Amino acid sequence: MERIGVFLCTGCDIGASLETGALAALAKGRGAVHFAAHACLCSQEGVASLRATAEGGAVDALVIAACSGRHKQPEFTFDPARVAVERVGLREQVAWSHPSGHEDTQMLAEDLLRMGITRAAKVRLPQRAADHVERTVLVVGGGLAGLQAAQAAAGLDHPVVLVEKTAELGGYLSRLTDLVPAAPPYDRLEPSPLPALVSAIRGDPRIRVLTGTRIARISGQPGQFVIEVERGDAREQFNAGAIVQATGALPYDAARLSHLGYGQLRNVITTGELDLSLARRDLARVPGGKPPRRILFVQCAGSRDDSHLPYCSNECCGATLRQVLAIHQGWPGVECAVIYRDLRTPGQLEHFYRAVQEQTRVMLARGTVASVTGHGGTLQVSVRDSSLGEQVELEADLVVLATGMVPNAADGEAIRALRDAKRRIEKNESETQRKAAEETAASLARHEGTEILNLTYRQGPDLPALAHGFPNSHFICFPYETRRTGIYAAGAVRGPMDAAQAAEDGWGAAMKASQVISAAGRGEAVHPRAADIGVADFFLQRCTQCKRCTEECPFGTLDEDEKGTPQYNPLRCRRCGICLGACPERIVSYPDYSVDAIAGMIKAIEVPEEDEEKPRILALLCENDALPALDDAALGRAAWNPWVRVISVRCLGAVNIVWIADALSRGIDGVLLVGCKRGSDYQCHYIQGSELAHKRLENVQETLTRLSLEPERVRVVELARNELPRIPAIFDEYAEALAALGPNPLKGF
Amino acid sequence: MASPTVMCPDVELRSELERRGAGSAARCFQCATCSSVCDLVTTDATFPRRQMLWAQWGFVDRLVADPTLWLCHQCNDCTARCPRDARPGDVLQVLRALMIERLAAPRFMARLVGRAAVTWPVLVGLPILFWAALIFATTGFGSPGVPLVYGEVVPHWTIYAVFFPAAAFAVAASGAGARRYWRAWRSDEASRGSPLKELAGVAKEILIHSRFARCREARPRQLGHLALLWGFLGAALTSGLIVVAMYGLGEELPLPQAHPFKILGNVSAALLVVGISWLLATRLLGSRAGASQAYDSFFLGLVTVLVATGVAVEIARYVFPAWLAIGLYVVHLGIVLALFVTFPYSKFAHALYRTLAMAQERLAAKRRPQ
Repeated sequence: MERIGVFLCTGCDIGASLETGALAALAKGRGAVHFAAHACLCSQEGVASLRATAEGGAVDALVIAACSGRHKQPEFTFDPARVAVERVGLREQVAWSHPSGHEDTQMLAEDLLRMGITRAAKVRLPQRAADHVERTVLVVGGGLAGLQAAQAAAGLDHPVVLVEKTAELGGYLSRLTDLVPAAPPYDRLEPSPLPALVSAIRGDPRIRVLTGTRIARISGQPGQFVIEVERGDAREQFNAGAIVQATGALPYDAARLSHLGYGQLRNVITTGELDLSLARRDLARVPGGKPPRRILFVQCAGSRDDSHLPYCSNECCGATLRQVLAIHQGWPGVECAVIYRDLRTPGQLEHFYRAVQEQTRVMLARGTVASVTGHGGTLQVSVRDSSLGEQVELEADLVVLATGMVPNAADGEAIRALRDAKRRIEKNESETQRKAAEETAASLARHEGTEILNLTYRQGPDLPALAHGFPNSHFICFPYETRRTGIYAAGAVRGPMDAAQAAEDGWGAAMKASQVISAAGRGEAVHPRAADIGVADFFLQRCTQCKRCTEECPFGTLDEDEKGTPQYNPLRCRRCGICLGACPERIVSYPDYSVDAIAGMIKAIEVPEEDEEKPRILALLCENDALPALDDAALGRAAWNPWVRVISVRCLGAVNIVWIADALSRGIDGVLLVGCKRGSDYQCHYIQGSELAHKRLENVQETLTRLSLEPERVRVVELARNELPRIPAIFDEYAEALAALGPNPLKGF
Repeated sequence: MASPTVMCPDVELRSELERRGAGSAARCFQCATCSSVCDLVTTDATFPRRQMLWAQWGFVDRLVADPTLWLCHQCNDCTARCPRDARPGDVLQVLRALMIERLAAPRFMARLVGRAAVTWPVLVGLPILFWAALIFATTGFGSPGVPLVYGEVVPHWTIYAVFFPAAAFAVAASGAGARRYWRAWRSDEASRGSPLKELAGVAKEILIHSRFARCREARPRQLGHLALLWGFLGAALTSGLIVVAMYGLGEELPLPQAHPFKILGNVSAALLVVGISWLLATRLLGSRAGASQAYDSFFLGLVTVLVATGVAVEIARYVFPAWLAIGLYVVHLGIVLALFVTFPYSKFAHALYRTLAMAQERLAAKRRPQ
């Protein structure tokens, strides 16, 4: 931007701890066309003066040196297409966290202001790219979650198309008449809401139900998806703005539980099979057709077991209690025993557990079922690890295995890897390549033909699977989010859950779908950079088709042409900047976040000479968790090291390596990257950002060693949003570690 | 590991516990709060968690052979703190009743007393009727003089003729139960040896209620029980002394009020009145004392009527018409007889089983390698 106005707020201790005259001189010296100090910039009067300056056209960029950009947003937000706003957090990063009137404090404030002005000079104004969007919501899967999502989306005034591959709506629940309680007093079975919901959906003119239908192809982006469905031989095409995948779960394959007698003994069945018998009001499954007198339920059959499903399916204990109560009420002579590892009844289901416990014909006991063996018509169930401290053999006429849930989802990335491998086999370029490809294809063979959504995305035809094959974003803050913008997961496909949770999921996912459609219509990003209208710009003339951006984008935003040049889909883009961090040619930039702008900020840091003994540390903080934590630490008046200069980045994955090189070559002593947790319990808002940053940084450290710089001059720290007390220590420890290394040898060059 | 225990889920035990008011055992989820808060639990005797678990699984044979059931004084510290309201204190109480019923001989008597909720009119009425009939047959209730001398209406020989055999029956039946009980725990290695040697130590514990005093929730009840115990012992001693007075010292009955034996008897009666009132009050007022079942109520009722009629009989001589005084005396004698005959089967048997259990535990503690 060309005409920069600098507004300095002197309230909230800022004026008292700094020499404001020097800051005014600095602003003028850096070419600001306007400077004003105000005792309370967020007051009506202060905001009016800002507005007059901005809207009068005197400036096209505002540098507001006041509080952190996370505060006072209503006051300091202007039309992003007309004026750029750069917030310099003098209150949190200087006045509240450093000693008042100190020389180092003043230097810090001046550096921050210099950095802010430099960035304001380098940003561009984004153009709001509002486009036509389709308001229809496509719901895939006609189980409870899908039905609820369809009804909710229709209620939010969206046309809905509900696609179900079988001939009937209802999914698993259609075999149940009663469910575990979802309403007070939570102590009795409740009639299933499914029949009423199905007839409501069937009678709703806003909802088109396509049963016996599969998805042939989905292309496009949020607001502009093009859907092709197949119904027998008939094909049909329509548009949709967002997609809810509610394809549910399948019971774990009990055939793999041979130690529990399944498949070998006729009277060993699964929860699902017992549900079918109960639906027929028929318990005669034991040899001879006699109804069983004693039924034994085995909980965690193939669950919480590393050789089967490592997780708890959350729902099976409730299902068993439901069946026990149904048997108790319908077949009063039948005795039930439940052997559990931990009877897990989340939430209000504890009341239901207690109600079932009161039934005299139910024995609930802790233990692990080691084996089930046949003995005439009677089964011997061997229980170990019971609280009794001894091995016990129980007899039963029927054994019911409470099997867990496996998501009914396709692993998009695996399918793509399989397709790539097959293509390489066809090409047959070299013997070794063909062999490797054949091995890959063999290991991924089970993904053959599992496609559900058939996306035309470069990263694969379905949602990427995350932990345990569930396509959910996994992190607790972002339910229903998947790694494909505009496609939301609801119900048991997202995580193991019971009917009540699945219904709630339908609501949640429908609201996310509605939200993404309206955001697309306004040309805005969705969570976490909601309301961001800037889109990425790819300077393709310099693109080398290295495919890093198309591979690493967590949201599958980028497709490729035949040569491998990225093709950007702005409405899929979450503006995380991971492509910017990935690009070795540095051709990706956002209007207000570019390699040049951040590099400019780094270069604006004044690095004192070695003999001044004032080291400098560049801290790149993720704007999602680390920076808010820093702000909050300041709010609690935490004090930290004065050598640190903080720059907020969109994600650790949005850090381009060149910035680290820039910083170190300018004599900055060390670069600290603070971001979200990675790994299986990641908290990265863009799922893979922290993970990618770690990988990239390993390469950087190798490079540093080659340049005879210590690899310790770059450090990555993981910080959760609530770990603010750690912040001062993180900075201090790093400063100490750098002091031990001595000053950056490149200082002064 | 020993060969596995083969069993079926014992739904019968569950039903039986339910019927007796201990269905709450099903609620237990083995958190062990009960055993942690219990001040009577030792390394040699853990309860009530273990017993709750056995009750859930239906190990009835183990339960009725478990002496630790008797180490519990039912203070209900556990019941007050149980997070699932499984009422371990009450469950153990019911299990003790069940154990008495399974161990005592003859079986039909045990069942009769075990169903006291229904059978109590027979258990109390028959002895009273028996005494009325006996007196009618011997003295025909005569025409007593003034002041009333009970011995003129109820000759002493009838008392001996009834109570000596009754006491002998109680001793024999209790002995049979004690022997079965004894055998059940003799299989336990740590319990080898004779608990009789421990009885002196146990007696000391009982006389000052040092164990019962550790029960926090039951502190008020413990004082009432102590008064009742001393009252009983005093009354028993008085009975013996009166025989000595009559035949050894040649004294005439009734003894004058200033006689030392009479004073001892009156003090005992006072302790009994205080004790039983106290216990009744804790049952009626203290919600945390635990639920009273027929097992408890029957015995408490007998003792209450025993003490009430005993005191009333002494006063009635002076203030009531003769027919009423004699009527009370007949009821009193009937209750004493009922108490003697039901001793091996009622809650009264706790005097026997708990004493033995305490001796066994002391023995086990001594035998445990230090």
